[in-house]
Amino acid sequence: MASLPSRTLLSWLWGVPQQVHQDDDASSSPQRFSVTPRIKELVHMKPWAIETQHVSKQFPNGAYALRDIEWGVQEGETMALIGESGSGKTTLLRLLNRLAEPTDGIVFIQGKPACSQDPIQLRRRLGYVPQDGGLFPHWTINQNVCLVPQLLGWTPIRQLEQVTKLLPLLNLDPAQIAERYPTELSGGQRQRVAVARALAADPPIVLLDEPFGALDPLTRHDLQDQFLSLKTRLQKTMVLITHDMSEAFRLGDRITILKEGHIHQIGTPQELLHSPATPYVDSLIQHYHAHPG
Amino acid sequence: MSIRLFSIITLIQGDKKEMPTPRSRQRTGRIFTGIMVGLLGLLSSLSLPAWPSDTIVVGSKNFMESRLLAEMFAQLIEARTELTVTRRLGLAGTQVCFEALRTGAIDLYPEYTGTGLVTILNEPPMHDRVSVLNHVRKEFLHRWDIWWMAPLGFENSYALALRRDRAQTLGLRTISDLVRVAPQLKAGFGYEFIQRQDGLVGLTESYGLQFQNVIGMQQTLKYQATDKGDIDLLDVYTTDGRLAVYDFVVLEDDHHFFPPYEAAALVRGKILKRHPELGNVISLLTNAVDPPRMRELNLRIQEQGELVSQVAHDALRTLDLVGDNHVRSVTIVESSDSFLPYLWSKRSDLTMRTGEHLGLSGLGLFLGILIAIPLGLILEQWRKGAETIIRIVGMLQTIPSIALLAFMIPIFGVGALPAIMALWMYSLFPILRNTYSGLRDAAPNVVETGRALGMTEWQILRAIRLPLAAPTIMAGIRTSAIWTVGTATLAAFIGAGGLGVPIVAGLQLADTNLILSGALPATVLALTVDGFLGRVEQWVRPRGLEPVR
Ligand SMILES: Nc1ncnc2c1ncn2[C@@H]1O[C@H](COP(=O)(O)OP(=O)(O)O)[C@@H](O)[C@H]1O
Ligand SMILES: [Mg+2]
Repeated sequence: MASLPSRTLLSWLWGVPQQVHQDDDASSSPQRFSVTPRIKELVHMKPWAIETQHVSKQFPNGAYALRDIEWGVQEGETMALIGESGSGKTTLLRLLNRLAEPTDGIVFIQGKPACSQDPIQLRRRLGYVPQDGGLFPHWTINQNVCLVPQLLGWTPIRQLEQVTKLLPLLNLDPAQIAERYPTELSGGQRQRVAVARALAADPPIVLLDEPFGALDPLTRHDLQDQFLSLKTRLQKTMVLITHDMSEAFRLGDRITILKEGHIHQIGTPQELLHSPATPYVDSLIQHYHAHPG
Repeated sequence: MSIRLFSIITLIQGDKKEMPTPRSRQRTGRIFTGIMVGLLGLLSSLSLPAWPSDTIVVGSKNFMESRLLAEMFAQLIEARTELTVTRRLGLAGTQVCFEALRTGAIDLYPEYTGTGLVTILNEPPMHDRVSVLNHVRKEFLHRWDIWWMAPLGFENSYALALRRDRAQTLGLRTISDLVRVAPQLKAGFGYEFIQRQDGLVGLTESYGLQFQNVIGMQQTLKYQATDKGDIDLLDVYTTDGRLAVYDFVVLEDDHHFFPPYEAAALVRGKILKRHPELGNVISLLTNAVDPPRMRELNLRIQEQGELVSQVAHDALRTLDLVGDNHVRSVTIVESSDSFLPYLWSKRSDLTMRTGEHLGLSGLGLFLGILIAIPLGLILEQWRKGAETIIRIVGMLQTIPSIALLAFMIPIFGVGALPAIMALWMYSLFPILRNTYSGLRDAAPNVVETGRALGMTEWQILRAIRLPLAAPTIMAGIRTSAIWTVGTATLAAFIGAGGLGVPIVAGLQLADTNLILSGALPATVLALTVDGFLGRVEQWVRPRGLEPVR
């Protein structure tokens, strides 16, 4: 991102996502977290791939799923988003690709307000992997993987090249599975295909909603390994939702801890381990020490 | 692999014509074209009501005497005028028939003066023959410009009858004699007779009759039961052919309770004005048929299984009203034949009926598909109103078929059109419901993923929802198809033909073979259609949805 809109630039300079809310009671507020903040960001000097400013989401029934979220993901970084079920992780992710609109605040994707971008075009630039893979059952693996390239109007030759390049990266043999249907694959294979599909059009940002959540521990571990090697290779910005602390520690460059629609802490695994910002984060870390992996 | 790659492009971007179409789409296209061609063929073979003005439509009610008289009218008109005749025989009852005449769907039909007075004019029974005729004549002309032609020479009234030996033992000659012994008698009466003011209801009032037991019975059974002694007394029509066979005594109506039922042609005034020759030829039948003659003609149809057209022709020949040239090839089929030879002997008729049947139900279903699937698509987009509209369409289903058919007559006349319209309405609901719920419930997580990856709603509909909903939609079509094929048997009641014709005729004659000759092909047809659509259902099921091999 060569040029950022001034507003984003400002918030970036000021490290807005890490700022403490002025109007909150400092001692009890769960939004409060350790301020490792903007010096560090300045050191990194990396622009935000994703940024949220004062984002809230209230559902028509009145319940708030997210409240005043100040948050950002740097380019090339993998942000693990962890929290118990119902804490608002999926909602936050859906605000990014405009499957939902915030009731308050602004979401920036690559520096531009998401609401100013055409949702269809925006989504094609954001890879997406749901928990169950969400593969089209009536399409072959090949067709599934090529979905976005095809939406973007790539030539068939280019699509073909992409499939032959991508599937091996995920330890899948195109010759074997390209013509199969999703029901003819194992759960682990299906998830890998889903990841391949998310990556197919080479999007700058990939959103993964508990991509390994439904797999057995062995397969999950396997896929996490592959994910790690893929990550270093592709250097994409990723948001990875998980409810598994060890997965967050393994895969995330930084981790966001979400509870009941509030962010409790954003930080690297080291920062979380050594200086948990709230009692909740501390309890998570304790629990992680007791049951690692 | 590359072929598949090519093919999914057109699946989403349907406008890029140069790409080869995927298999599933070619398939759907082929099925669709096939159905279209087939239905158009059937449509053109059906005679929809677009009669030229020199065509006379002759109707009849759904019992044999009415059919016979109508057929005599028809043949007479054909023989003695330049007019063409379309037959709409076997309409379901007086209301349907008269409604058809009043609205111009038919031009004439045989009716009885008593029925005109009581059932159509809704007036209390009168007892003098001439005054009844004059009264209905005046009223029908005045109200509807419908003409009662000169009576044909016989009455078909209600009467009470019992076995001759029973009558003698009990000393019965008149209905008044009956009052005394009625509390010891079991009576078997027709369902209609029991209900009617000019039937049992008025009769008991007029004579003060009290029977030990009144059993509602079907026509033919009554005769057999009386003959065997299971019941003592029955109601008869005075021209019933069976009276010539069974040794029954008809009790004299000494109070003149039963209103006179003189048979005559009922004709629309407009058609008489346009074709005066019509009135002339019909009046050739004035007083031409006396009661014994009518009984004999009825007997030939009822008991001897002769064809209505043949008996009508013979009757006209006896009167020297038609020539020999008109004789049609006729097979007289004995009812006692075993079923399969009987079926074989009727093969050409049955083939035609099956064709009509398929045409009716196919067109009804086709129109149903044409409306219900797009409507389902719209409702899926507009879910607020969906449940209400689906419920309203569902309510159409609860209208009894016969009633729905009757409602159609004032709008569409009689014949194929109202039947197709009624079948169409019946076919809507299963297709609509399945289209709506199939689309709505089509793998929500898959739809959501498609959306998240940047598919437009239109692409989602075409590439995900529709293919995934296809088996459900097809199941709805299948349900509708069976339903429609079944209900189409009732189309015979409004003169639309189909396999209901032999069923209805057979029910009137209590001829099991005749009933079966309609019912069996109808059943086979339903099973075949079900089996075929079951195949189609498998066929439209997208491949990945098949169970893992
Ligand atoms: N469409 C909706 N309407 C009302 N409440 C919703 C809706 N979607 C989610 N929620 C609520 O918002 C909260 C956060 O949901 P979600 O983001 O799915 O949580 P997570 O993904 O962390 O499990 C939950 O309490 C959930 O019940
Ligand atoms: Mg979730």
